[in-house]
Amino acid sequence: MAAADSPSAALRRCDLCSRGIRLAGKMRSDVVDLLDAYVEQQGLDTSVSVTAVEGVPTAAVERWDEQSGIQRLLENLAAYRAFRALLAQMLEEQREQLGEAHADAALGRALAAVLLQVSAFVYHLEELLQLESRGPPSEEGTGAPPSPHLTLFERKLRGLRVLQELAQWAVRSARDLRQLAKLGPGSSLAPSLAESP
Amino acid sequence: DSHIQYERVGADVTMKCGSMDWDAAVTWTANGTDIDESHLNGSYLILKNVNLTQSGQYSCYEGSSWHLKYQTYLRVGTPPKEPLLMCRSNNYPKGFYCSWHLPTPTSIPNSFNISVIHGTKEMVCEKDVFLKNRCHIRYIQLFSTVKYKVTLTVTNALGKNSTSLTFDEFTIVKPDPPESVVAKPVPNNPRRLEVSWQNPSSWPDPESFPLKFFLRYRPLILDQWQHVELSDGTSHTITDAYAGKEYIIQVAAKDNDIGTWSDWSVAVHATPWTEEPKHLTTEAQITETTSASTSSFMPPPTTKICDKGAVVGSGAVAARWTAGLVLAAYGVLFI
Repeated sequence: MAAADSPSAALRRCDLCSRGIRLAGKMRSDVVDLLDAYVEQQGLDTSVSVTAVEGVPTAAVERWDEQSGIQRLLENLAAYRAFRALLAQMLEEQREQLGEAHADAALGRALAAVLLQVSAFVYHLEELLQLESRGPPSEEGTGAPPSPHLTLFERKLRGLRVLQELAQWAVRSARDLRQLAKLGPGSSLAPSLAESP
Repeated sequence: DSHIQYERVGADVTMKCGSMDWDAAVTWTANGTDIDESHLNGSYLILKNVNLTQSGQYSCYEGSSWHLKYQTYLRVGTPPKEPLLMCRSNNYPKGFYCSWHLPTPTSIPNSFNISVIHGTKEMVCEKDVFLKNRCHIRYIQLFSTVKYKVTLTVTNALGKNSTSLTFDEFTIVKPDPPESVVAKPVPNNPRRLEVSWQNPSSWPDPESFPLKFFLRYRPLILDQWQHVELSDGTSHTITDAYAGKEYIIQVAAKDNDIGTWSDWSVAVHATPWTEEPKHLTTEAQITETTSASTSSFMPPPTTKICDKGAVVGSGAVAARWTAGLVLAAYGVLFI
């Protein structure tokens, strides 16, 4: 494995960042469309303010500009692994709710497409972490939390929350990757000694 | 003693002359001018259906001694109507500002109070140094789905009114227009214009938060704009300009991912490069025409080209006639 600060690693990082930024942009666009379709199909109203739901990663962050590269990658990875599990769960619930035949309807296909993009993004982030000789953390405990007997309406609200936060994350991720790409060859993404715990 | 009295437009106002009895002999003045007795009821001054022009200093003097017994400054005005409030982030991700104004003036002093709530947190809105109807909020969190609620209350001596805005972080992002827009002709290219501009100076970090741009251009003689959207870079070459025509060009900016387009930049004017008309001597050099093109007006080619061996007299006449044609053609071109 190339050293994290070698020129080839820096080029690879730059390439992964560029492609990741494009993927994040496409993902956001598709999630926004999916959100509109979801709200309509589920009979919801976007003005509904959904408070934080357990297990749904929140994109909101303080002191974003002070984060190190590694911190950005790790937070993104944890979030998108969680979204991958949550979207898979939503897809399954969609199938249960509508039946197998209707699950292939437009909403189901759109959900599946976004799930694929999220999975691709997880791969991107894992590759970036590999470049930093960190290796991605294990995936233990990143599955969707067990849903304790949520009513249909509660599931709908959770689904709304998932898509709203994913749309925010997609914007944040593009910004995070631009910050990473700004670091030239020879720069480490790790926090300095002064910053590390 | 002197004080200020606020009254609504259209109200009936009664002023007492301090502690003087109703039947005391007094004289009232408005801004130093005696008020006619028809406005008095005993020693009370009655102003019916007051209007804005009746604002001023009212004084009451005891009849014989001319001692000042009472003085007030009457301010006629209106209670505030619902204020107009807008919030915008032109320096994302640093923060946003809110500006407000009243749809109609009240003619009396107003005070404004603004509150900014994000979820359950109250945020500080710092007053603008120069503009009294603006304040600035720093983002504490970024990428939040929680909406901001801004409430503005305006109060004056005659009443109060308020308005609220609720929005999320992304929707209010609107950069300032691009700056230093320059358009130049490209030498030896009659259909090109090179346009360049700079990011608005208020946008703090264009590297991490890149802007995309929208360029519009048209010849002055036409109403229809042409548009080009540019995802990166701060320059563009127009390659389909009409030769010799003056163009007007503007640029707008938007964050790559969120928010809305800026207003259009200041307009710049430019004309594509044109070949200098050649000086004509005894024999005219007919300029070569390009292949048929609807985009440029060229003088029609002459069917005869002057021979070098032609008689001077007739040749000179032919040269002058041809020169006249060419000059007439250029004259039409520049109308």
